[in-house]
Amino acid sequence: MPEPIIDSELPVPPEPSTGPAPQPTQQPLLEDDDDDGAPPVRFGGGISELRPWLLVVAGGALLGLLFAAFSTSDFVKHLDRQIHSIHCSVVPGAGLEIGESGCRAALMSPYSSLFRQSLWGGIPIALLALAVFAYLMFCAIEFALRPKLSKTDTRYLVAAALLPVVTSVFYGIVSIVAVGEFCDNCVGIYFSSALALFGAVVAHVKARRADQPGLWHNAYALWFGEGVAYVAVLTFIYFLLAPLNDKSVRGCGTLVRSDDPNQVMFALGGVARGAPAITVIDPLCSACTGFEARIRSSGLLDRINMRGVLMPLDSTCNWMVKESLHPGACAVSEAILCDRDRGAEIMDYALAHRNELIDLAKSDEKKLRQRLVEQFPAIKGCLGTPGIKNKVNKSLRWTVANALPVLTPQLFIGDRRLCDEDTDLGLEYTMAAMLAAGPGAAGRR
Amino acid sequence: MPASTRHLLLALAFLVVPAILVAVWLRGAASSLNIAPEAAADVAIASASEEGYCSQSLKQILRRVASACGLVQGQARGCKPADARSVVALAGKDFNAIFEPLADRARIIQFDVDATALDDGARRLVEQTWSDQRGASFFFVVARASTDGDPEYNRDLSDRRAHAVLEHLEQTFKDPDLRKEVGLMWLGADFAQLPEEFCTWQRSREGECTVKDINRSAFVAWIDCAI
Repeated sequence: MPEPIIDSELPVPPEPSTGPAPQPTQQPLLEDDDDDGAPPVRFGGGISELRPWLLVVAGGALLGLLFAAFSTSDFVKHLDRQIHSIHCSVVPGAGLEIGESGCRAALMSPYSSLFRQSLWGGIPIALLALAVFAYLMFCAIEFALRPKLSKTDTRYLVAAALLPVVTSVFYGIVSIVAVGEFCDNCVGIYFSSALALFGAVVAHVKARRADQPGLWHNAYALWFGEGVAYVAVLTFIYFLLAPLNDKSVRGCGTLVRSDDPNQVMFALGGVARGAPAITVIDPLCSACTGFEARIRSSGLLDRINMRGVLMPLDSTCNWMVKESLHPGACAVSEAILCDRDRGAEIMDYALAHRNELIDLAKSDEKKLRQRLVEQFPAIKGCLGTPGIKNKVNKSLRWTVANALPVLTPQLFIGDRRLCDEDTDLGLEYTMAAMLAAGPGAAGRR
Repeated sequence: MPASTRHLLLALAFLVVPAILVAVWLRGAASSLNIAPEAAADVAIASASEEGYCSQSLKQILRRVASACGLVQGQARGCKPADARSVVALAGKDFNAIFEPLADRARIIQFDVDATALDDGARRLVEQTWSDQRGASFFFVVARASTDGDPEYNRDLSDRRAHAVLEHLEQTFKDPDLRKEVGLMWLGADFAQLPEEFCTWQRSREGECTVKDINRSAFVAWIDCAI
């Protein structure tokens, strides 16, 4: 499409004046040196004034694109259901680490992707960011290469650059309120978004007013369509190529005995008429904290009736572990079984204060028990008694009867055990698929 | 180059690069998924205890005792001295030696002369011992009487002592698995009398301890062997 030859940036001749001649405010005139075939025209220096700011937009978009690319790559690596190191730094591509970090918390949180019940892991938000930053970079470069630019154009650029900023603000709030940790990569994206918006706003302020105000609708529609196409194409490719594994739905093992003759299970939420679900949990395990949160935010609690079975990985009561992975977990388990009706509440308290409770148990388990009694007075007189210790033992024996792996957390939908690799990113997809297949489907496969 | 062509080429270039990257990453994840090991392949499986002292010979004797005394069938009917002697096929001294590795796990519940009632200390110690099951599969109660008095009477006395322990466990814990786990043996004063060194083991009473005192007792212990 040929560029319009009407040039709004031509300098207006000064009005005759009797006073001293005003200093020119425009840049030196430039030649129309493009090869669009249109007759050459002369125009003002506005575009050269804008170019540095457009490059700031492009730079911000490039930086955001790099952060988003590393985040997407990290997310995609986890689609093989294994544990991988992830990039976590405010420098793009740096800070590769495998341990716990804000970036891992964000990646494993339910807010890291969309449509998680339809696709294993869902569509990562980072992929959408990748598309948006690629598009923003394209816009900025394309605008910078134009011979002229008006406020009509730059207004669109501002709007486009606003999208990642608004998303950044939203996810920043989610990080603080819901995830409870900041991810360095995400901070990099927030900064990149702000930088791009800053460049776009300055370019918009400096741009000249358009002289054909009626034409912007068509241009905006085309540009917006291109932006949507960027997101759609990357999303489509992702849907098409995301690896599938039917083992996720088959599960990894079944329960031999799901009954509870010794009354060691406690309610963990859901609805009474929901599909039976059992989670094997240690009340002081860090992985269980995120697991509980993921189940609660999965949107599937209203389809299951979830009960908990305790498997404290603490050698005080658990003969299957040689060293206490979570000191104090036996005492907390006793507390939960002392007041099973409030078991979920006690477990939530323990998961929320796990480090503090573990420290107490390490220094003196009596202090931990005292703390639990102070917090939940109803368990006084029960905690530490032979009867309740026996109950904790029965809970562990339930895991023996079912020959379960000695690890937490584990989740059973009906009698089918979710594979361990499906309990983080793939939790919603796997749960939804198992629920759709029905609780007894494992035996029919 | 016409502006529209430039626009299109740029749009494609900025789209194709991330699209190729995403496709390559996804292909890599798919390949990795195909060769990924089972996550729980190297994780231990929950099981009952099997302590180091559970030698084959010990397990053989324990199994014979457990089977013959009704424990394996869940009857908890118990073994009287004649049964024990033939089942164990050991001298009394050797029979006691079986339990020596259990010094940390076993407790000795003491009774008054000619009595079968559990005192407070005895009840407390029975409960503590029972609640310290850990991964053990069987709980043995081996009751005795001192050599004072008629042997037949002593057999009956030790029988009642063993059952006193069982009844206390049943009343206190109301555990549906209890009958499948508790094995009773009552030896009277005929077989495998405990020597005085057992006074150093954890008992329900403190203070003086003679051979007669230590045999007016029920020896209770969880056995950490998969028999």
